[in-house]
Amino acid sequence: MPRPLWTGSLSFGLVNVPVRLVSATRDLDLHFRQLHEKDHTPVETRRVCSEEDKEVPYEAIGREYEGVILTDEELSAADPRKTRTIDIEAFVDLEEIDPIYYDHPYYLVPAGETDGTVRAYRLLAEVMGKTDRVALGRFVMRTKEYLVAIRVRDKALTLSTMRFHDEVRSTDGIDGAGGRTKPKEVAQAVKLIEGLSVAWDPTAYEDSYRKRLQSIVRRKRKGGEIKAPEADPQRTAPVPDLMAALEQSMAKLKNGGGGLEDLSKDELYEKATDAEVAGRSTMSKDELVEALRGS
Amino acid sequence: MAPRSLWNGTLTFGLVNVPVKVYTATESKTIRFHQVHLDDGARIEHRRVCPKEDKEVPNDEIVKGYELSNGNFVELTKEEIGAAAGENAKLIDVEHFVEGEEIDPAYYDKTYYLGAGDKGDDAYRLLKAALDKSGKVAIGRWVFHDRERLVAVRPVDGLLHMHTMNFHDEVVEPDDLDLPSPQKNPSDREIEMAGKLVKSLQANFEPTDYEDTYREAVLELIERKRKGETIEAPDEPAPSDDSDDLMKALEASL
Repeated sequence: MPRPLWTGSLSFGLVNVPVRLVSATRDLDLHFRQLHEKDHTPVETRRVCSEEDKEVPYEAIGREYEGVILTDEELSAADPRKTRTIDIEAFVDLEEIDPIYYDHPYYLVPAGETDGTVRAYRLLAEVMGKTDRVALGRFVMRTKEYLVAIRVRDKALTLSTMRFHDEVRSTDGIDGAGGRTKPKEVAQAVKLIEGLSVAWDPTAYEDSYRKRLQSIVRRKRKGGEIKAPEADPQRTAPVPDLMAALEQSMAKLKNGGGGLEDLSKDELYEKATDAEVAGRSTMSKDELVEALRGS
Repeated sequence: MAPRSLWNGTLTFGLVNVPVKVYTATESKTIRFHQVHLDDGARIEHRRVCPKEDKEVPNDEIVKGYELSNGNFVELTKEEIGAAAGENAKLIDVEHFVEGEEIDPAYYDKTYYLGAGDKGDDAYRLLKAALDKSGKVAIGRWVFHDRERLVAVRPVDGLLHMHTMNFHDEVVEPDDLDLPSPQKNPSDREIEMAGKLVKSLQANFEPTDYEDTYREAVLELIERKRKGETIEAPDEPAPSDDSDDLMKALEASL
């Protein structure tokens, strides 16, 4: 189990459930150190007084805001009083919460194995699961008070920290979707969306960037040269005729997901064999596409 | 004043390219302090120093090093790391459309607003209208700041919102938690009572009902200090009790 970030109790009416907070995400990114190119030495970050040009120990550092300087100890006076409970204040429907408010996801797990704790935890999970409700509460982690949304996911209680309303920016000045659309185009676009619709399955998507970066590190280690791949300009070019692009997309989709031009030469040759295209063995890739279109 | 976009590119679905601009939708309002030297009140600078030479290192002499288990580094330049973006550095590449409710909020990371890009009004409007009509959200990939993110694009009022999401292997599943099971499941009576308690606390979500009280407390503290008050840190509170009698606690709550 991941390391707990906070321990306390979840309080719901007069019921207290001792819980631990663990992160619901793990960091799988590749991490790099900063090196001095000349001598390959990892650089250090030093805190230096700009006036004296000397390194400053951590205890001698204060915090300044608009000319007022506070020590860490003084700042802790702003820490909220209750620091060991998550108080559930209300239950709301899940759909009411715009995902824009979600910040970081965590799990709450029972703290301790006593039957009272485990049962109270299970009771809350069961009741919330049945009603598809989200509990809103507040709690203090480190020094900050958070608004949190607690939900059930397969018998586990999840907790998401939330943004405060004034942390959501205004959309004023952003060029949006004003103006008219052509009903025919919209109908065709809806068809394309239906054609590309699947059930949500997060495991269908792997982090391809992470994989490429790993392979770049491997290649570089062996002394290989790293070149950036070329982008396909067609994918970023403006579409002059939306209707035509939609129709071509649909045709491509009906062709089994990808158009002929997306296939390799071997795959095209195989298709050409099936279609008994004459002269296929001497054709180039483009000629195969052309011949298959005609067949 | 129009906000500044932080990324310009193209969202593609099928063969339709939609020029878009990406804007941040949220900002932290946490009070940010400058670090100062308590002795003289001067700003603290963070300097990158080469310990071998004991000298500050300018930015252009820094490379990134991936540490191997033997302690050696594989060195990469910015351009080499940039190559990992692949062919899609300027794309939001939509692969599928799904029902938005199917996505567990644990996947959501950060939200951005998508605005229409230059000469992209028609395509943007079309995508927005079609998403509205189909009730679906678009799932794609977006490379931003040396990282690839899975994204969900959905229509909200007159705009498209884009949520970055965690990849499945970055999300801890409930099964990974090894939750203990109680010896005896909660009784029907307990579930009924707890259900009543949930009902009594039923409310609508009003984001404006919640203010960041910590931010307010910090600002108040700064004001007190400005006036020359002495500030003392509070004592730690005692942890609350674990109530073992569930039924009694539920009844008392109602």
